[in-house]
Amino acid sequence: MPSPPPSTRYLADLQSRGLLPPDQATRIAASERTQPFSLHYELRALLYLGTTLLAGGLGVLVYQHINTIGHGVIIAVIATLMAACFTYAARHRAPFIWGVAPKTSVGADYLLLLGCLLLVVLEGYVQYQYQFFGNRYGLATALPALVFVPLAYWFDHRGVLAMGLTALASWVGLTVAPLAVFTENAFWSDHIRGAAIGLGGLLMLTGFYSEYRERKAHFAFTYLLLGSNLALAALATSLVRAAFHEQPLVGLGTVALMMGLCAGLYWYARRTQSYWFLVLAAGYAYFAACYLLVQLVLLFPDDIIVLMAFLLFPLSALLVVLFFLNVKKILHGPAAPVAPLPPTAPQP
Amino acid sequence: MNRQAYNPNWAFHTALRARAARWQRQQLLDAAQLKAIEAAYPLEYYRPAWPLRVGLFLFAILGISMASGFIFLIGHELPIASGIISCAACFAMLELLIKDRRFYHCGADNALLYVGLAAAGSLILYIFGTYFWSGYYASFRVTDGHLLVPLTLILALLAAAVLRYADALVTATAFAALLLLVSITALQIPWGQALLPFLIMVTAAGGLFLYRRLARRVAGTPLADYYASCLLMLKVLALAVFYLGGNYLVVREGNAELHSLSVSEQVPFAPLFYLFTAGIPFLYITLGLRRADRPLLLLGLLTLAFSIFTLRHYRSLLPPEIAAVAAGALLTVLAGALLRALRPTRFGLTSLPDDEPRHFNLENLIQAQTAHAPDAPATGGFEFGGGQSGGGGATGQF
Repeated sequence: MPSPPPSTRYLADLQSRGLLPPDQATRIAASERTQPFSLHYELRALLYLGTTLLAGGLGVLVYQHINTIGHGVIIAVIATLMAACFTYAARHRAPFIWGVAPKTSVGADYLLLLGCLLLVVLEGYVQYQYQFFGNRYGLATALPALVFVPLAYWFDHRGVLAMGLTALASWVGLTVAPLAVFTENAFWSDHIRGAAIGLGGLLMLTGFYSEYRERKAHFAFTYLLLGSNLALAALATSLVRAAFHEQPLVGLGTVALMMGLCAGLYWYARRTQSYWFLVLAAGYAYFAACYLLVQLVLLFPDDIIVLMAFLLFPLSALLVVLFFLNVKKILHGPAAPVAPLPPTAPQP
Repeated sequence: MNRQAYNPNWAFHTALRARAARWQRQQLLDAAQLKAIEAAYPLEYYRPAWPLRVGLFLFAILGISMASGFIFLIGHELPIASGIISCAACFAMLELLIKDRRFYHCGADNALLYVGLAAAGSLILYIFGTYFWSGYYASFRVTDGHLLVPLTLILALLAAAVLRYADALVTATAFAALLLLVSITALQIPWGQALLPFLIMVTAAGGLFLYRRLARRVAGTPLADYYASCLLMLKVLALAVFYLGGNYLVVREGNAELHSLSVSEQVPFAPLFYLFTAGIPFLYITLGLRRADRPLLLLGLLTLAFSIFTLRHYRSLLPPEIAAVAAGALLTVLAGALLRALRPTRFGLTSLPDDEPRHFNLENLIQAQTAHAPDAPATGGFEFGGGQSGGGGATGQF
């Protein structure tokens, strides 16, 4: 039994409805029979695995024989490779515009990324071996950010921008990778949380600005993805803290801030029709709303508190579900032509 | 009442439209014909883009669990009645939403189905725990023979749910329940423990046989599309379990686990398991290539990797860095040569991309596993913001 099930059933149905002339159906069936089995992605994956293994193994071998090779040689090799990458990328660069620059070469894209990675490796190497930056760690982490962010604009490369923003965050002492935001950052410390809210808010504002003024509007996605997670996660932690320490003013202020940022994300989601940011905004806004709900429930007399809690919270979740169900209308606006068929359309 | 909860034509229309779109990309159809086909086969159900499905699922789970908490709060003196009410409410709601709002695997209905089944399963276990084997809690083990009857009931329930709702996750759970049932039965009889790997393999083979029977049975009807994901799940799981049941590492470490040994020791019939461990991946890869069966081929590659891991777990042939360099060089040369040799076509194989959408991307998996250098999350392939979906779902791009 071949893996893609035979198309005869579909072809027969199409023919019986008069949507497909018989000779065309025969041609499609013949094409399906003779179509070769594509191994493109499997072979690419094996190639990738092979180069990764090779690079890793060679790296370990070089490390083991470092005394016979010498640090100067390795640094020279890395620097040469990096210079070659940057030169190639610069020669294939499209002229600068504030919109999306046309892609001139796929290779140049990857080589630019590789050059940036090599810069990080080189910096780490000279710092580890020769203490190049001494104890000025701030300078060591700020340097990549200072190099990468302008490069990203100059080359119109979102990957390099993400690397630059990551470096910027580590200069402040934070991790911005979306999945590591909660686990890697010590949000319970006031200092770190303040930095996270500040940097995240700044990144989000930059994102909103680029989208609004169309200054590299496609960069807004990266700014908002990294910034929103950072700022909103830190704000959520601060909200939990305010709830535990019973500081209603701090709590309400945080809720207002979160709601403001979520409203910004909602604006961006509607403007670019991005489901991802819509879900993100809804999730964090729901979290903030739950804080308000808890405060509300606590105002009730003691004997009906539990009852109210069990009544109000399912209701709030139901409201969110309803919001998601009507999201299509919300995203596209009431006047816009909506998708093929709305869910409640009468059956023809 | 129909046996299928959703309209089987929904699945049929979706699959047909996907085919037609592919034919159009291959220029076997012109754009006007595709338009006519899409008008003749409308998508009449509700299924949004996947970030929304995830959101719907999470919030539905949240809402349902809080609502059932409410029910248990009121009826905490009658736990069985509360359980029955929760379970019945879930299924009633599910049927209603499918009928009225035409939900089709859109997150909220999945959540209702899972919570309803979980409630029914816990109810069965609770009833048996309270009225039939009271006093067994202290020495309870998963391998306990008392579980046989309730587990059989749960399996029947899951099978019925698969038939009605065609959910892939429920299929996987049902298969797991079947394996657990076989294992428990085997552990009750004296020779069962030694025969357990073979029984597992026989069960997996039975799963494959069932897959073939069912696939033939539904072939040629819209039900083939309706149950496509369930059948694929059954096939992949049966193939994977068939391999794992015969894998030397799994058998040896599982044996040590059953006997509570701190260090695993040689198992009986070892040469047979060497043969399975080495042979099955090549069988899968060969069959996958000959039958143009991608799931089988991918499983073959993954099982081959696990077999190599098994070998290196017990025998270290080369120092790791030398082995990595050698294997890397071999793989690079081999993959590079094949990429070149299979262009455009040889032996019915090609190294050029086809335009089938990929649901399981091996390359991304390997990249995600191996890349832990500086995190650069937004380098592409991550753009949900494209904004050309307009809902409707099932078009595969958003």
